[in-house]
Amino acid sequence: MSRRMRVRMAGWGAVSALALAAGCVGGGDGGHGTADRSEGAPLRVALLTAGPVSDAGWYAGAYEGLLALRDTFGAEISHQQTRTPGEYDEAFFSYASAGYDLIFAHGFEYQDAAIRAGERFPDVTIVVSAGGRVSDNVVPLIFQLEEGSYLAGMVAGAFTRTGRVGMVGGVKIPPAEGTWLAFEAGARAERPDVAATVTWIGSWDDVAAAKEAALALIEQGADVIIHNTDAASFGVFQAVREARERGREVWALGMNRDQNAVAPDVILGSAVIRIAEAFVEITREWRAGRVGGAPYFAGYGNGVVDFVPNPEQIDAYPPDLLQHLDAARRGLADGSLEIPRVRFVEGAGG
Amino acid sequence: MLEWGALAAFLAAAVRVGTPLALAALGEAVAERSGVINIGIEGSLIAGALGGALGALAYDSAAMGVLVGAGAGLAVGVVFAFFAVVLNVDQIIAGTAATVGGLGFTGAIYQARFGATGTQLSLPTLAPVRVPLLADLPVIGGAFFEQAWTVYLAYLLAPALAWWLFRTEWGLELRAVGEEPDAAAAAGVRVRWTRFRATAFGAALAGVAGAHLALASAGTFSEGMSAGRGFIAIAVVVLGRWHPLGVLVASLFFGAATALQFVLQARGLAVSYQLVLALPYLLTLAALAGWVGRARAPAALARPWPETES
Repeated sequence: MSRRMRVRMAGWGAVSALALAAGCVGGGDGGHGTADRSEGAPLRVALLTAGPVSDAGWYAGAYEGLLALRDTFGAEISHQQTRTPGEYDEAFFSYASAGYDLIFAHGFEYQDAAIRAGERFPDVTIVVSAGGRVSDNVVPLIFQLEEGSYLAGMVAGAFTRTGRVGMVGGVKIPPAEGTWLAFEAGARAERPDVAATVTWIGSWDDVAAAKEAALALIEQGADVIIHNTDAASFGVFQAVREARERGREVWALGMNRDQNAVAPDVILGSAVIRIAEAFVEITREWRAGRVGGAPYFAGYGNGVVDFVPNPEQIDAYPPDLLQHLDAARRGLADGSLEIPRVRFVEGAGG
Repeated sequence: MLEWGALAAFLAAAVRVGTPLALAALGEAVAERSGVINIGIEGSLIAGALGGALGALAYDSAAMGVLVGAGAGLAVGVVFAFFAVVLNVDQIIAGTAATVGGLGFTGAIYQARFGATGTQLSLPTLAPVRVPLLADLPVIGGAFFEQAWTVYLAYLLAPALAWWLFRTEWGLELRAVGEEPDAAAAAGVRVRWTRFRATAFGAALAGVAGAHLALASAGTFSEGMSAGRGFIAIAVVVLGRWHPLGVLVASLFFGAATALQFVLQARGLAVSYQLVLALPYLLTLAALAGWVGRARAPAALARPWPETES
């Protein structure tokens, strides 16, 4: 370890020690001074998440993406979970200065720190999932999850008997709001008189709060409930399971990742982002020099977003619903189907 | 308007949300009465949640889960107390370390045991137990007396702790340590030992609160599922004015505010849910400012003993 390195280590040693204790996984040793871009040098990729990758959802998908980059490109990988916004800049700094080529910052909340880090380290490329700000080396990766959420809404509209469906949302940020509006529109498309309600719990991980929010929706008569949270989704599935045990016919829908196997007894299907495929694809594009200066869109059209019915419940699907879903998919692919979208990327109309 | 059935459902939710707060806050109140502010109970809570889940899985029994959860919370509390009480490290710093460490360690253990990308566990859960007669009361019966037994533990602990703190010699000693540790020491009370035990007791109760969260509320463990309840419990202690009965009522009030905003949103009412959530905190501030009765912290709270000369 060089002397310069040691000095720097002393500077952020305290913070990174905490971050390490808080769950750093992966192979980065942080010992290199500058990026080596020569042919054949291993690609070095880092992932930042603002929550645990054990959520079987949004962050778990990103972690799988990181592993896919290791397996596909032989990349050296490292993951760090940031606990507070105060750690964002520090995390970018530690990876960028250690010579990482690509940093995936998995969430809207990283966008401002990413722009700051991008200015300071022009050699690094930062991909911000659901980000809203663009620069030469900061690229928002926009998952058009509203497309999957719209399809999930159609399923909810077809399955509801009470005519009430609901969503338990995490924090009301533009990407999450987009999935909610599309879910509502999808439910309306299938059943025009449906009443849809959303409850925001102000947290992505609070399982108990998500469960109470779902129980309150069920109490109001909602019988198909989707979520857009991270680990808190377990609370929604648990609430639905307990309601079923009390004899109510209630269903849940998964989001962000294929969660059908998480609670196969209560989940009708999941609106999925194939995050790993998007990570691999954007990395391939980046190697070809085609990433930077503009957002990167990933939706149904390029195979990243979809709705996946739960194979254990597919028999319960009405045949015409499956036909409607296929028609909607075709409309999404050729752009003829208009669905609500919340645009949040600056200057890109995205 | 709220019909009776909806009111009963709302009250039941308030009790469910308030119970982990009550258990953690009752323990914290005892620790604070002895002069130790343990902001590490968040760490004990999450350790209790993981301990509860692992214990319930290992013994296929939710009750054993609660016991293991209490032990896990206690373990975190003993580490905290060793630094804060025995070594006289600043209590806030030691508590922060206990919280950060608890969140980190539980995550690492969970991922090592169940895989990095996580899954929903199917745990033996704490099923609701009907209390004969009381559960038949209209509206409040089901809400208050058809709950997991950890809820009844909170009901019973509050008066028991109130009696213990204010009617027994041990309780007097504990309070003396929290108010005038020098005088207590002069009277022959072992100040550090008393504080150590009070802190350990509080942490074990926080562990029970965490186990309740995993086994009665969520039915699974997930990283970070304590979601700041340890810190809310510290506010609950203030609003409850460091009195166990007050703490029980205050935690139900916090639970009611949370449950209310879920009901309002589920009804599609355009009320700012952030405002509803902020209500108990505004009351806590009012209590601290002396507008809601007299709220005075134990005089030696957060002060190390023996105090170093400066």
